[in-house]
Amino acid sequence: MTFRQLAYHNVFRNRRSYAAFFLASVVSVMVFFVYSMFIFHPLFEEDGLQVLAVRGMFIAEVVLYIFTLFFLFYSMSAFLQARSKEFGILMHLGMTKKQLNKLIFFETMILGSVSTVAGIAFGFAFSKFFFMIGREIMELESLPLYVSWQPFALTIGAFASLFIIISVISVAFIRTKGILDLLQGYWKVDEITNASRWLSFLGFLLLGISYVLASVVTDETVYTMVLIIPPLATLGTYLFFTHSVHSLLNFYKRRKGVYWHKTRLVSLAEASVKLKDSAQMFFIVTIVSTVAFLTVGTLASFMSYTGDYRESNPLGLVYISFDGNSKELQHIEGLTAELEEKELAYDLVPLVVKRQTSTFTGNDVDIIRMSEFNRLAAALGFEPAYPDRGEALFIPYSKESLKELGKSQVQTELMESGVELSIDQVYPHILFPVHTVNFNSIVVNDLDYAAIDEPLQGYADGESTFTYYAFDIPSWEETVAIGSDLTAQIERAVEQEDFSGLNFFFENPGEDYRWFKSSFAILLFIGVMVAAVFLLAAGSFIYFKLYTGLERDRKQYLLLVRLGMTEKELGRIVNRQLIPQFFLPWVVALLHSTFAFISLQVVWDEFAELSILGEMILVLTGFTIAQVLYFYLIRWRYIAHLQAS
Amino acid sequence: MPLLKIDEVTKVYEGKVTHRALNQLSFEVEKGEFLAVMGPSGSGKTTLLNLISTIDSLTAGEILIDGINPHRLDKNELALFRRRKLGFIFQDFNLLQMLTVEENLVLPLTLDYVPVNDMATRVLELAKRLDLTPILHKRPNEISGGEAQRTAIGRALIHKPAIILADEPTGNLDSKASKDVLDLLSRVSANEGATIVMVTHDPIAASYCDRVLFIKDGEFFNEIYGDERRQTFYQRILNVLSLLGGNVNDLSATRLP
Repeated sequence: MTFRQLAYHNVFRNRRSYAAFFLASVVSVMVFFVYSMFIFHPLFEEDGLQVLAVRGMFIAEVVLYIFTLFFLFYSMSAFLQARSKEFGILMHLGMTKKQLNKLIFFETMILGSVSTVAGIAFGFAFSKFFFMIGREIMELESLPLYVSWQPFALTIGAFASLFIIISVISVAFIRTKGILDLLQGYWKVDEITNASRWLSFLGFLLLGISYVLASVVTDETVYTMVLIIPPLATLGTYLFFTHSVHSLLNFYKRRKGVYWHKTRLVSLAEASVKLKDSAQMFFIVTIVSTVAFLTVGTLASFMSYTGDYRESNPLGLVYISFDGNSKELQHIEGLTAELEEKELAYDLVPLVVKRQTSTFTGNDVDIIRMSEFNRLAAALGFEPAYPDRGEALFIPYSKESLKELGKSQVQTELMESGVELSIDQVYPHILFPVHTVNFNSIVVNDLDYAAIDEPLQGYADGESTFTYYAFDIPSWEETVAIGSDLTAQIERAVEQEDFSGLNFFFENPGEDYRWFKSSFAILLFIGVMVAAVFLLAAGSFIYFKLYTGLERDRKQYLLLVRLGMTEKELGRIVNRQLIPQFFLPWVVALLHSTFAFISLQVVWDEFAELSILGEMILVLTGFTIAQVLYFYLIRWRYIAHLQAS
Repeated sequence: MPLLKIDEVTKVYEGKVTHRALNQLSFEVEKGEFLAVMGPSGSGKTTLLNLISTIDSLTAGEILIDGINPHRLDKNELALFRRRKLGFIFQDFNLLQMLTVEENLVLPLTLDYVPVNDMATRVLELAKRLDLTPILHKRPNEISGGEAQRTAIGRALIHKPAIILADEPTGNLDSKASKDVLDLLSRVSANEGATIVMVTHDPIAASYCDRVLFIKDGEFFNEIYGDERRQTFYQRILNVLSLLGGNVNDLSATRLP
């Protein structure tokens, strides 16, 4: 047996304990590779969505890389610690420290190369599948599989460097303790469960404060809270796992009536040892899971924003023509021609809008004639409005404004034309997208409208009047690419920051909607894969901890069987021991995310009024089901290993 | 009626090499007797103990403990049987590291729904007898080997089992601690009528017993009864051992009294 063969045997015969990292590394490599396949795709153009996808995936790759580095770093150091007895024997037999380092280096490189190769193989095998999803999301004609050296080179380069870093650093973890210390092994001083009462209290307090703060976040405080809450909650979580849990258990243990009862004696004592021993691990798992929940939850809540979009954008196309627009007719004809070409039904309502100054606020007010307004309302299927002479209705521009305007009552006079109006109602539907309409817009009786005969102060006759062409298109999502030349003109003007000569405004909400929806879907697609890697890694920490403790647990199991525990009682002990390990970090992470979502809801309210509750429940339920399945899988393996003796 | 009856017990390990660990072994143990089983390495001592412990199955023959054949019980009944009828003492103590001495002592009782007050009084009384009172709240890694073995003996006694099975109880102890443990065991046997079967290599340990049973290659070899003087009993044990042809190492010559 050569030295390298020894390393090889160490890895392959320890494959059960390596299994969890191996799986997590392979998935991480695989996801990384799939992203690379997208990034280097020859058909990707410098187009908005694809640029977004490439950038998002690049960021995801960086996140994955850093996360995998930390994950392997932590797992390797824990694993090497667990093997200290083995290293003690080797050094006892005369292995030098240098040789030991070499051994570990070889082992890590074997693990690294095997998982990189396997990850790339799986990634390549499944990339067609991911391309299909990507093609659907980005609405591309085709996204064929391709072969190029670039994704391979990037992935291999990234992970080769990662595993080299890991193998160099992890060697440093075998502190050159005496051989005797190494021989005595890992489970030496793990049995004391002291907890500082003060720190336990602080843990609860910090968590409590962060939860309270998170639930009372308001629009104004949200930006400060974003800086305050996460550090508080993180520290609180750490103290919770390192102290608070143990104080609780110790409190429980002092009550002999409760504690000295059947299997509880063993299972409680065991749980407190396991919880103490793995406190740091639980902390990491909790934080990682929280981040994963939040990532996916946030992205899913973007998706619900798109669901809300139609309500605030009921018009299919919007074209506004200002004074001096010579191409008005030409543009409108072009648009209708495009709609007809695509065989889309539409209803075009031109609204001639007059602008005046209100004496009440001193601001500009846009005035729409009742008859035109009702034509549009009828086209959209809303009820008409009938203001009498001298009356007017507010036109809401968002759901929030609908509530606020409903409360206000205004007596005003249109300064230029001397028309007096009393406005005490709001039209109950949103007709115009928010940025296409003046915040002060009203509907007036046709007679009042006719009485407005003076232009806005400082404007010549006709200059303050514009025509708002509202297109109602029932299949509004199909309007992609309609009016693209108009959009291009506007984009050009925006780029050059020169709006002279631009006498119109055009918007295609259907196309924007598609764009929003696709980009959120891409982000979700990227996020879910990263979150999956996170969760898998969190799970493998737990598996690993169980596995390194298996020898000790098996010995204990044997003793308990001799002392006369029935299988049912043993099952109960195993459950009581596994459930906290699996679900305690889980429950804490769920709580964290719930409160984070409560704050997020506030932030969302500011941008768009929508509820993310549904998405949140969906996301959290999905993850919980996955976790329960994982629990049963591990429990089955664990019991099988315990009974194998 | 004997408390433990071993009748023509045979144990064959099937495998790549079939190995007959015990061959038609028979003996009996009376209630209150302190029996030592001796024999060279590989003679089947541990197999015998595992069979009596009910954690290994018989190939042929019958074992009766307190009139019950445990090998006829189902798994659940067997667990309950071990819990109530058997007490165990091991070479490496096998205390649960996460429990305190006190909690290790009550472990067999907690399994059986004994009321807490009852457990507490029994623990205190037992601790006084075994001189464990000062260390009741320590953990196994904070006490000496002798204390750990006394704790294990306490755990084997607390539920008043029919028979106590000890596997090399002094194997990991120094001579002072060994003497304490053996004195304790013979006292328990003499004063309280506890039945003890102890497997040992150590002729000194064996000399504390009422009777020593020798086995070789899984078969009965000889047995001798103790007498008034422990020293002469010890000499007689050594004589049998030399006939037995065991390894010199087994005699632990350094520990001659």
